[in-house]
Amino acid sequence: MDTSMDKFRGDKVLVIIPAFNEEKNISNVVHSIKSGMQSEMHNVDILVIDDGSIDKTSILAKNAGAKVIKLPFNLGIGSAMQTGYIYAKENNYDVAVQLDGDGQHDPKYLPSIITPILNGTADMVIGSRYVNQSEYKSKALRRAGMLFFSGLVTLLTGNRIKDTTSGFRAINKKVIDYFSHKYPSDYPEVDVLIRLHKKNFKILEIPVEMKARQGGVSSITPLRSVYYMIKVSLVLLINSIRPGSIS
Amino acid sequence: MISIYTLAIIFSTFFLLIILELIRKNKLSERYSLIWILFGIIMLVLSSSPVFIEKISSLIAIKYAPSLLFILGLFFLIAYSLQMTMVISQQAKKIIRLTQEISILRDNIDSSKNE
Repeated sequence: MDTSMDKFRGDKVLVIIPAFNEEKNISNVVHSIKSGMQSEMHNVDILVIDDGSIDKTSILAKNAGAKVIKLPFNLGIGSAMQTGYIYAKENNYDVAVQLDGDGQHDPKYLPSIITPILNGTADMVIGSRYVNQSEYKSKALRRAGMLFFSGLVTLLTGNRIKDTTSGFRAINKKVIDYFSHKYPSDYPEVDVLIRLHKKNFKILEIPVEMKARQGGVSSITPLRSVYYMIKVSLVLLINSIRPGSIS
Repeated sequence: MISIYTLAIIFSTFFLLIILELIRKNKLSERYSLIWILFGIIMLVLSSSPVFIEKISSLIAIKYAPSLLFILGLFFLIAYSLQMTMVISQQAKKIIRLTQEISILRDNIDSSKNE
């Protein structure tokens, strides 16, 4: 751990938080990242992408000490994240971390999620709630969906990834570069795993605990979940028959 | 009684005139209007020579020749709406990219103002 922490000193890390109407959570999320940062992590910047929120997300994030890029209207999670990756590329960051704005990702795992990137062990690290037992309790339907995607991704890539929809992930410079050019605008989480596999990037899963959403409203409902599953499966199948270069 | 052929000729002629007028007024860009002009001309030719479409109809076992006009029109509409969906998809991509770039640029401007 010591050697990796030494490496922290030189490498620029950007934590990207996509947020859409998260005024109830965003301050806490930014504060907890700031307070959780060790002195070794002085090169860590926080960037909130306000995806066209109509509440106080932007102001609260700025007051909490994050850098904020405000999109003029809602582009969706994929394009919001890509905005962060474009920013990361332009400002020459070595690592980009995605951390959701609803408070379910615990910033204390930041070092463990970034370390494999700094060591060069992986091109993308996914914080997974299923690698080890975690406190996170998910509903049966959600669990079934996760299992389904996990099976599908394993089938398509041969890489066993358990938590394919986790939005807690870190990527290195090569992947930042790739994502700033090409990142799916709809349903990106599972989709990019296949894309990265095709491009021979190495994906690693590490165990994290996730909390239940702290406040505000989740965008997930049972009907939407089923719709999501069908759409993502379709996207994945289309991707798998696409020729080498993925647009 | 007015025949379907006469009706088709009248319709095609009006259609062509409308297209030309729209281009002239710059309400339709040349890029997307060529295919409409082409379509109008084809329909005009087909409807003005019954012999021609009757021949094609008998070749593919269509009993009522003018229905060939309908089926052609239908095919064209399907193909063209597919083309439109492609155009929209491309434009949506470009709009997203522009939005991202503008948001980052605006942020750059704001932060250089504050310094």
